Amino acid sequence: MPVIVIASPKGGAGKSTTAVLLGTELAHAGAPVTMLDCDPNRSLTLWSQRGTVPAGIEVLSGVTEAEIVRTIKPLDQDGQVVIVDLEGVASRLVSRAISQADLVITPMRATTLDATIGARALALIAEEEETLDRRIPHAVVFTMTKGVRSKQHVGIEHSLRRQGVDLIEPALMERVAFSALFEFGGDLRSMPPQGNMEAAIGNAAGFAQAVYGRLVGEPGR
Amino acid sequence: MSEERPFAIDLGRLKTREKPSDAASLRAADERAAGLGFVEREPQGKRGRKPSPRTDQVHAKVLPPIATEIAAEARRRGVVQGVLIEEMWQLYKDKSGI
Ligand SMILES: Nc1ncnc2c1ncn2[C@@H]1O[C@H](COP(=O)(O)OP(=O)(O)OP(=O)(O)O)[C@@H](O)[C@H]1O
Ligand SMILES: [Mg+2]
Repeated sequence: MPVIVIASPKGGAGKSTTAVLLGTELAHAGAPVTMLDCDPNRSLTLWSQRGTVPAGIEVLSGVTEAEIVRTIKPLDQDGQVVIVDLEGVASRLVSRAISQADLVITPMRATTLDATIGARALALIAEEEETLDRRIPHAVVFTMTKGVRSKQHVGIEHSLRRQGVDLIEPALMERVAFSALFEFGGDLRSMPPQGNMEAAIGNAAGFAQAVYGRLVGEPGR
Repeated sequence: MSEERPFAIDLGRLKTREKPSDAASLRAADERAAGLGFVEREPQGKRGRKPSPRTDQVHAKVLPPIATEIAAEARRRGVVQGVLIEEMWQLYKDKSGI
């Protein structure tokens, strides 16, 4: 089942990186994962061709607006996970993917620009909840965060919390291993060591576990 | 590799949930989304301008301040931004001995 849609109209917010980290970590933890590459720039497809796609993961490429709902439907079954990666634009494809989501994750860097544009995804989710008369769980994850959080980061975090936005912890820190996924393909465990691998794997696994908790109804704080 | 898993997933707990996907619901959602600027953005067959003959275009997304600097420099020299990227690539190749 759970259909996880990674959405932000902000380009370069870290959507595809989040999708690959989540997909590979959930697969490593034992879930069959289908990843839908809905971005005409084909980031996920390029990742899948770079190295060996880890066991338990299937990547479907080039899913368009007309196909998205009927592509998701048959995959939306108990005991498996679907992850949808979207282009960083405001499109009907994004809104249709969200209509089929069990969880929408909006990655954003802790900058005012990312937060402002990312908020458009949150507004869209609210409208869809009303139109479709169903709750669409959603959460924000900060990406490319630094060891020491900037004032701007703290401010944005406070403001999102005040608005009742669910923030996924741990955030995805800026790490060479994460950007190297698109260079080597595969997952963090198959990649030649890049920086502090243990910390990178711990970060990605902790994030995936926090997402899993939300899928099975154990929301974060 | 079968090193220990940081956490394990209980597949029995991953349950599917009903979601409306009938044409009327989707149309209503499309309309609301369009009101927020989430509109159709797929290439429209043959309409409009022919694609540029210069293939393999790079569509780099860079930080806004850098984009502004690159755009300003291209304007100053009267070249397209791709020319700057071609020059940067040459410098990069020289530097890394490719
Ligand atoms: N946590 C991170 N650590 C290091 N680099 C990162 C991290 N997250 C993203 N990046 C890098 O930032 C760039 C943009 O990330 P990514 O492609 O994931 O963004 P995106 O939101 O999918 O972009 P688009 O809107 O173009 O699809 C990439 O070069 C990626 O390697
Ligand atoms: Mg992407």
